[in-house]
Amino acid sequence: MGRAPAAAGSEAAPGLASSRRPSHRELFMGMQQVALSSFGGGLSAWSQRIVVEERQWLDNEAFMTGLTVARLFPGPNQINMAVYIGSRFHGLSGALVALAGMLLLPFSVLMLLGLAYFELHMVMAVDRVLAGVITASAGMALSMGFKLVGGYNRDPVAMLLAAGSFVAMSVFHVRLIPLVLVTGPLAMAWYWPRQR
Amino acid sequence: MSLTALAAGVAAQACTPVHLGDWRNLLAVIWDFLSLSLFSLGGGNTLLSEYHHMAVDQYCWLSSRQFADIYAIAEAAPGPSSMIVGLLGMAAAVREGPLWGVLSGVAAEAAILLPSTLVMVAASLGWSRLRDSPWRVAFERGMGPITLGILFAVGLKILRISDHDTPAYAVSALVCVLMLRTRISPLWFMAVAGLLGGLGLVNR
Repeated sequence: MGRAPAAAGSEAAPGLASSRRPSHRELFMGMQQVALSSFGGGLSAWSQRIVVEERQWLDNEAFMTGLTVARLFPGPNQINMAVYIGSRFHGLSGALVALAGMLLLPFSVLMLLGLAYFELHMVMAVDRVLAGVITASAGMALSMGFKLVGGYNRDPVAMLLAAGSFVAMSVFHVRLIPLVLVTGPLAMAWYWPRQR
Repeated sequence: MSLTALAAGVAAQACTPVHLGDWRNLLAVIWDFLSLSLFSLGGGNTLLSEYHHMAVDQYCWLSSRQFADIYAIAEAAPGPSSMIVGLLGMAAAVREGPLWGVLSGVAAEAAILLPSTLVMVAASLGWSRLRDSPWRVAFERGMGPITLGILFAVGLKILRISDHDTPAYAVSALVCVLMLRTRISPLWFMAVAGLLGGLGLVNR
């Protein structure tokens, strides 16, 4: 996925030519449809179905490039994907409209849940159900690292970087920003592409 | 990084919430979210232990137990789970009333998303040039392993603050394995675990 086909570098113009150019309003509605469809999960699959197949704003290759960019840069992946789609058509204003379309409904639901929580968290039954849900979400949190480890376990330097970051954070309670500011440049220097 | 950092760790339990009516405190909080934004590697989950540090130790908006509750709510709710920041913002101001809670939640979410969104817009528009840049290659390959280490640390932290009994740890371990081995929707895990909690089979 990271290695796009050779044509991808110049795909921006032809990718757009073959597809429709949505207005701000259409961007908002489209992203809202993605958010609504994915209420049960599977956001990026829904996003592909709606943006590529139904509305044909992007071809599949441009969509895949978007996923790569969204994963690479800071920020939540799905939100970055909305920004990628919006900014392709209308720059910053498109990005903000796409973002608003994607977040409006789920964020409103979350705010209502939050208000309910702060009202009711002292209720015994609520507390017990949450105690249960937490065990599952802790398991999900634990799985995040394991999901990625397969990509690195043949590279001793990568494992050293990972282990070092883990120990710094878990054992020595180093905060994230100083940790990344120190290890990031070292890692980038080591992995700087060299001509051979 | 901020004045209140001194209080961190000293008074873990009996701390008093930082008053956001004081504009200096408000600016400090907004600055914290803005600056964390660009460090949300790996889709934003790397920030969870920073959020815990901020909300529980530094600003005292939540107890550790409440933080675990809020994390579970954000995971179970529809939409990106990184919206937990909205709940943290709400926790900071909900004592003043629900309206302030919601406003503060929106402000926190906007602050955490703004910088990363600006960078993402620039990256999307300039990708054809960035794609073959050595900076892009070094960033992608170098940050990967660091993100990996941080995600393990975050997973362990969440497990710790969930404050379990033994059956609960067993459920967490099982969910972790099922997440890796199957494609079952996580909503099922949370629904079943919530039921187990309601029946009193897992406790904290």
